[in-house]
Amino acid sequence: MTRVQPRLLAEDCVEFDLDDLAQIHRVADQLRETGVFEEVVPGLAGVSVRYTPAHTTPADIAAAVETAMSDRPLAGIVADQLNICMRYGGEDGPDLAEVCETLKLSEDEFIDRHAQKLYPVEIIGFTPGFAYLGGLSEELSVARRPTPRTRLPVGSVGIAAGYTGIYALSGPGGWAIIGRTDVTLFDRDQADPFRIRPGMQVRFSPA
Amino acid sequence: MKATILKPGLQTSLQARPRRGFRHQGMPWAGAADPVAMAAANWLVGNPASAPVLEQTYGGLTLRFDQPALVGLAGAPCALTLDGQGVAFARSFQVSGGQVLETGAPKTGLRTYLAVAGGWQAAALLGSVSTYMPAGIGGLWGRACQAGDVLGWAGTGSHPGARALPDRLRPYFSDSWTLRATVSAETDWLDPCSRAALFSQVFGVSRHSDRMGLRLTGSALVLRRRAEIPSAAMFPGMLQCPPDGAPIVLMADAQTTGGYPRIAQIARCDRHLLGQIRPTDRLRLLLRSPDQAVSAWTAKQDLLRQWMPDLDLY
Repeated sequence: MTRVQPRLLAEDCVEFDLDDLAQIHRVADQLRETGVFEEVVPGLAGVSVRYTPAHTTPADIAAAVETAMSDRPLAGIVADQLNICMRYGGEDGPDLAEVCETLKLSEDEFIDRHAQKLYPVEIIGFTPGFAYLGGLSEELSVARRPTPRTRLPVGSVGIAAGYTGIYALSGPGGWAIIGRTDVTLFDRDQADPFRIRPGMQVRFSPA
Repeated sequence: MKATILKPGLQTSLQARPRRGFRHQGMPWAGAADPVAMAAANWLVGNPASAPVLEQTYGGLTLRFDQPALVGLAGAPCALTLDGQGVAFARSFQVSGGQVLETGAPKTGLRTYLAVAGGWQAAALLGSVSTYMPAGIGGLWGRACQAGDVLGWAGTGSHPGARALPDRLRPYFSDSWTLRATVSAETDWLDPCSRAALFSQVFGVSRHSDRMGLRLTGSALVLRRRAEIPSAAMFPGMLQCPPDGAPIVLMADAQTTGGYPRIAQIARCDRHLLGQIRPTDRLRLLLRSPDQAVSAWTAKQDLLRQWMPDLDLY
């Protein structure tokens, strides 16, 4: 079995590179369930663990990661699908026209291609409920905007470098905004306010 | 029991412990920017170390107590008046029903904490009452205090009576800070000169700083490798380096993931002081090994726990 190497982020924080997202989430969920760490955060390439130094050591955590890796993945789980009704372009998607110009597509062609796929939620990060959706095809991919916008309305949908992202809160953002949805992904009035989770599959349907 | 905000000052919010355990869902910690000063204010009135407090930035709060209360303030020192009469800072004192407390602006340090015996009341969300303003949650309707807001506090059967903070619980505030720090995951992405400069140069602190982070100014750091990482975890105390080479020190409300290289981490023993650094202050990082950082943290936490046994230094 390969030994995982802890990478120190600080005296109370380590990170482990892992092979794929399924393993990243499996390891992260198992470590979190132990209840001994301050935070267990999956990233796109690995898992980071923040801990109380007196309680544990990087070597202990590496051992826990190896144990979690050796557990077999659960087979046959069907991912939840989330349908997101979206208004593409116009005021709700101020960057769509420019994106289409860069990609040499008409807006209708872009919408057809973007809306026909299922996008996996790879991680949640940045701010509450911000979903990184993988699987954006190469032909629809553009770079981040050179200057981020200081305030995007809640529900804005952006694309950047192979990802589609949904801004569950209003706030600053640097992705090219192609549309907007009214679906609430962070609902502060619920005991569990998070409506979107890693492993879910998202389909966009044009409004 | 109730108190009414007459003037909120620049920014006053209800803060307590961090909202822990939800960073994988994108939820930042929030909580007191200086948890040691919060604990000191609570100690003055006999509360647990992380009972809810009012966190004031640059002072300027005016508050009327509608019932009698035992009150304590700690953190950035400022002038206090009760119905116009001066009151000593860092000492708890009794307020009568109807009296008005005013706090001045601190000359050094940034955040002053106001505790009331029994603790301010607010509904907890995900295990904490701390206000996280960008998502509109915690505290008073998820926002900073406004004139006319009414705050409640729990009655308390017994409290220690008025007392003064021991000198060991009163840090020295200045406009120049030296904080211990360790290397982080991408420190070696800096070119050798910049790596040396990171742990020796005196940085300025930009006006564009808030509870999310302190933006540092100074000679720009140069990265010798590609400038972004696949989105990965970020934590309070971390220094990230955007392409322009001006590092950002992440704070209590910092985002949970990001793509900029992580070039250093303020040591756990000194992170609480980040909450007291004001724009235009100067900051220098003192490089420590992880083992040295753990020893310094253990020593400081043990010292603080002589007075506040339930304090967690994070």
